[in-house]
Amino acid sequence: MLLVLTVSNGLHFLVAWEVFAVCGYFLITLDGNKRAVRTAGWLYLATSHAGTLCLCVFFGLLAVKTGGWELGPLRGDASLAPLFWLALAGFGIKAGIFPLHIWLPSAHANAPSHVSALMSGVAIKMGVYGIVRFSGWLPVPAAAGWVVMALGATSALLGIAFALAQNDFKRLLAYCSVENIGIIMIGIGGALLARSHGDAAWGRLALAGALLHVWNHGAFKALLFFGAGSVLHATGTREMSRLGGLWQRMPWTAGLFALGAVAVVGLPPLNGFVSEWLIYLGLFDAVAGKQASAWVAMPAAILLGLAGALALATFAKAGAMIFLGAARTKSAALAHECGNWMRGPMLALAGICLGLGLVPTLVWPALTSAAGAWQPVQSGGLSDCGNGEADGQRAGYPHHSGPGIVPAAVIGLTIGETHAAKPSAGGAPAMAEVPLATLGWVQLGLAGLMAAAGTLLWRKVMANNLRRGPTWDCGYAAPAARMQYTSGSFAGLASAWFSWILRPLRTMRRVHGHFPAEAIYQERVPETVLDMVILPLAARGMQVSAAVRRLQHGHLSFYILYVVVALAALASLVLLENVP
Amino acid sequence: MKLLLDLILRIDCWLLLAPLLPGIINKVKAWVAGRRGPPVLQLYYDLARLWKKGVVMSTLASPAFVILPALTWVALLSAAMLMPLGPLGAGLTFRGDALVLLYLLALGRFCTVWAAMETGSAFEGMGTVREVSYAVLAEAALIAAVLSLSVQSGSIALATMLGPPLGAGAVLLAAGLFIILLAENCRVPFDDPNTHLELAMIHEAMVLDHSGPPLAAILHGASMKLLLFAVLLVQAVLPIGQLQPLAAAAVLAAGVLGVTVAVGLVESLWARFAFRRVPLLLTTAFLLCLFALLVAWKGGPA
Amino acid sequence: MERWAGINHQNLNLLIGLAIGLNLLALSTSRLPMLIRSMSAQGVILGVMPILMEPHADWRVLLVALATIGGKGLFIPGMLRRAMRAVRIDRELEPLIGFVPSLLLGAGGTIAAFALTPLLPLLAEHADSLLVPGALATVITGLILLIGRTEAVAQVCGYIILDNGIYLFGLLLIRAMPLMVEAGVLLDLTVGVFILGIIVDRIQRTFDSLDTRILTTLHE
Repeated sequence: MLLVLTVSNGLHFLVAWEVFAVCGYFLITLDGNKRAVRTAGWLYLATSHAGTLCLCVFFGLLAVKTGGWELGPLRGDASLAPLFWLALAGFGIKAGIFPLHIWLPSAHANAPSHVSALMSGVAIKMGVYGIVRFSGWLPVPAAAGWVVMALGATSALLGIAFALAQNDFKRLLAYCSVENIGIIMIGIGGALLARSHGDAAWGRLALAGALLHVWNHGAFKALLFFGAGSVLHATGTREMSRLGGLWQRMPWTAGLFALGAVAVVGLPPLNGFVSEWLIYLGLFDAVAGKQASAWVAMPAAILLGLAGALALATFAKAGAMIFLGAARTKSAALAHECGNWMRGPMLALAGICLGLGLVPTLVWPALTSAAGAWQPVQSGGLSDCGNGEADGQRAGYPHHSGPGIVPAAVIGLTIGETHAAKPSAGGAPAMAEVPLATLGWVQLGLAGLMAAAGTLLWRKVMANNLRRGPTWDCGYAAPAARMQYTSGSFAGLASAWFSWILRPLRTMRRVHGHFPAEAIYQERVPETVLDMVILPLAARGMQVSAAVRRLQHGHLSFYILYVVVALAALASLVLLENVP
Repeated sequence: MKLLLDLILRIDCWLLLAPLLPGIINKVKAWVAGRRGPPVLQLYYDLARLWKKGVVMSTLASPAFVILPALTWVALLSAAMLMPLGPLGAGLTFRGDALVLLYLLALGRFCTVWAAMETGSAFEGMGTVREVSYAVLAEAALIAAVLSLSVQSGSIALATMLGPPLGAGAVLLAAGLFIILLAENCRVPFDDPNTHLELAMIHEAMVLDHSGPPLAAILHGASMKLLLFAVLLVQAVLPIGQLQPLAAAAVLAAGVLGVTVAVGLVESLWARFAFRRVPLLLTTAFLLCLFALLVAWKGGPA
Repeated sequence: MERWAGINHQNLNLLIGLAIGLNLLALSTSRLPMLIRSMSAQGVILGVMPILMEPHADWRVLLVALATIGGKGLFIPGMLRRAMRAVRIDRELEPLIGFVPSLLLGAGGTIAAFALTPLLPLLAEHADSLLVPGALATVITGLILLIGRTEAVAQVCGYIILDNGIYLFGLLLIRAMPLMVEAGVLLDLTVGVFILGIIVDRIQRTFDSLDTRILTTLHE
């Protein structure tokens, strides 16, 4: 996998990519004697190869156009721009952008948990890496920013909507990865959009946020998958409706999972908030800029907010169903805490989440240099106009040559950039800085205050006398574990708003008559995109290919006939071309 | 030193004034209904009493059940520190603090929700589901509102965002923010803070099992949140930044009082909505904020 | 005089804004009286507009304004209320497009109307007026109501809101065209409502319902 990141030759890249994909397959099917695991593995392999196919074509065309397999910055050649779509499709499958995510939930859910953590934390980021890398090197079509941002917003919203409706907690985490990839894509789309509109200031913010989110997501999602693995190990089930009350048996896992949940929802004072905040800043700047890009930045910002609120609901549900309340089944009641070897990595990851959240300035130099490398012309201190001339693809756009756009002070704690929002206002420096250091202090202060207030209240309660009693439940005399809200009932209200895309399968038998039989209500959310779009299309494809297959029957003489017919057709084609 | 003094004064201001608001609302409601009603300072008495009381905790709940209300309270207090107070300005202002404020509110919600689910009670589950689900719609409306403020002022720092007057979009924004205020603070028509019919509650259902000092923290936090939204509404709509400091303070106070009375009147005159109609109202709020945003963007009519 | 025109222009835009607000209100309500009320308020607003646009109102403009206010603001709503009372239905129960989606659709349509108007080849004097986007938004609202509602009364309201949109377009031509066109439209509409009223009555008697979906049983 490291190889993918380091090679600079297209052919080598493809080989490394393929090795990486096949390794992924073997990792997923480590537990290969289960049917579901094998199916998931096959699905992964098939979609992964569809992606590789796109990449093969991409690299092949690239090699044809440039005359070599060497990779490097090729921003000048505008004819390479359409290739971006191929790269987007190829890497997008790996990253799991929404309509291409079909392999992701089942692969993540069925792989062993440490593999899921690795895949979610690192492997799908390879797709993001590819998109960022090649959009930095190659010229991109003008529509790329719009498309990537729209895809990102869709992924974020629908990914989290699917996550909310899941009952299997590893599937929930997997869909949440789709959401987070969507958030990253929103940032990247913002960067592309800003680049194609010539005002790069907010675009780099969005890109920095996206890149930071790649790391953050790697940390907290791995933490959550480790937590999930420890729960799975202890109880043997992935269904949240069979769990509950695990905090009593597994306090460490519960606490660390809660920490990861706060991070993944993007709440202060942890790391998820920092990157989402940066992306928001970029989007808000774009909207305040009142350029055409505001038309897409505005819905993106709102959808990002929606996705954030849905993520809160999702992880409140996940945490509550697994760890809180009363145990719903015996296996949950008899769970045991994970060992030190499982706890250690979780603690380390939690430390990373906390550290990146409280001291975000640590990573800023790396981020700015990465964003600078992505867009070398602007950060090199050239004026925007010069950049516009250097980049032929942008020639059609009006240049908002605000005074001294982006001086070289990009690398530093604050991006000193003149906001391009008011090109005519004579350089009103409306939004000058990214106060990441201030944000760090705020987060630190918040964490400190929380710790202090929590301790204080705990002391006070202890001093006032704490008694234990059964849950009040409005005076109901015999509360039982089965009366608790389940994962389905928790998600019901919000996921009903998305039933148009979730398409839940319902089985219902109402209560009837005086001596009613048992009433049933079941609801399950299928892999809608796979089951209702891809598979029917594939079935249609199979029909067509079955028809074609009849040509393949084993009679040698007919094969010779085919050859003759083909030759005749080719010859007539050539002849026809020669006829004026 | 001066900074510290300012901070302490500000904290006192928020801490001491916030519990007035529910008292005023209750007084207005009593007045409309022709009753005498509880004293305006009732919440202060309640808080003092609760602070001295012991705590009964569910056997299912973890120690976090007691601690989380404190975290909610801290999140809300920190949000209040970011909110400018007319001529006083904000305790801390930086670019992007508006978003920090939004996410602090979300943090407060997350802590409340987590504590509610600790008890394994069906009622708390019910309240939680409603809270997190309606928050999704309210969040969209809030983001649109903040975007519109940001667009018309060209800034993402609350202190400058709330300064200039809004023009034609102000009416739209005011209506939208008022609906959000009602929803976020669980007032009628979204929730009935007075009801004892548990099936119809959101916030009250979530905090059913709390008692003693944690409950005091929750109640005080809720009143701070109400004050926060009232201050936001008044400053977003009225051109307070252009007035003399004293006049600005007076206008701000009057505005907050007006909003509080309006909440009381709404609660007296409207019934709580059926839950299936809540999304419609929140969508309306979202659209109001969205149109305010578009008006701010395009310069709008007039 | 200039000043007067400016103020009028502002007032006109304010009225159009109100009309757009009424559109959204009509889309979001499930109660037929509310729907009729918003429709009639929109009719009154539309009736005031020609007077504002033409400061030197001659008798024809005044007549049309009065006719619009009277017809769309009072007469047609009155008829509809009577029809509603006669069939004892006061709310839409099973819309084909739910209220939240239709509200979002209407808002999206309104935004699209505002976004697309600059692309239209308009006269310079209409460029900063809200007339065109307002008209488009109103037409879209009417269409959504016509498509999404199953209650006949609601559909009639949708039809009238659609007509309001066309009327707004017509105001663009207030200088160029004789107002008789609008008068003709109004007349058409009145007759249409008469007929609809009769049909509603008949449907009610025959099917015991105003659900227009039932009418599909009539096809051969």
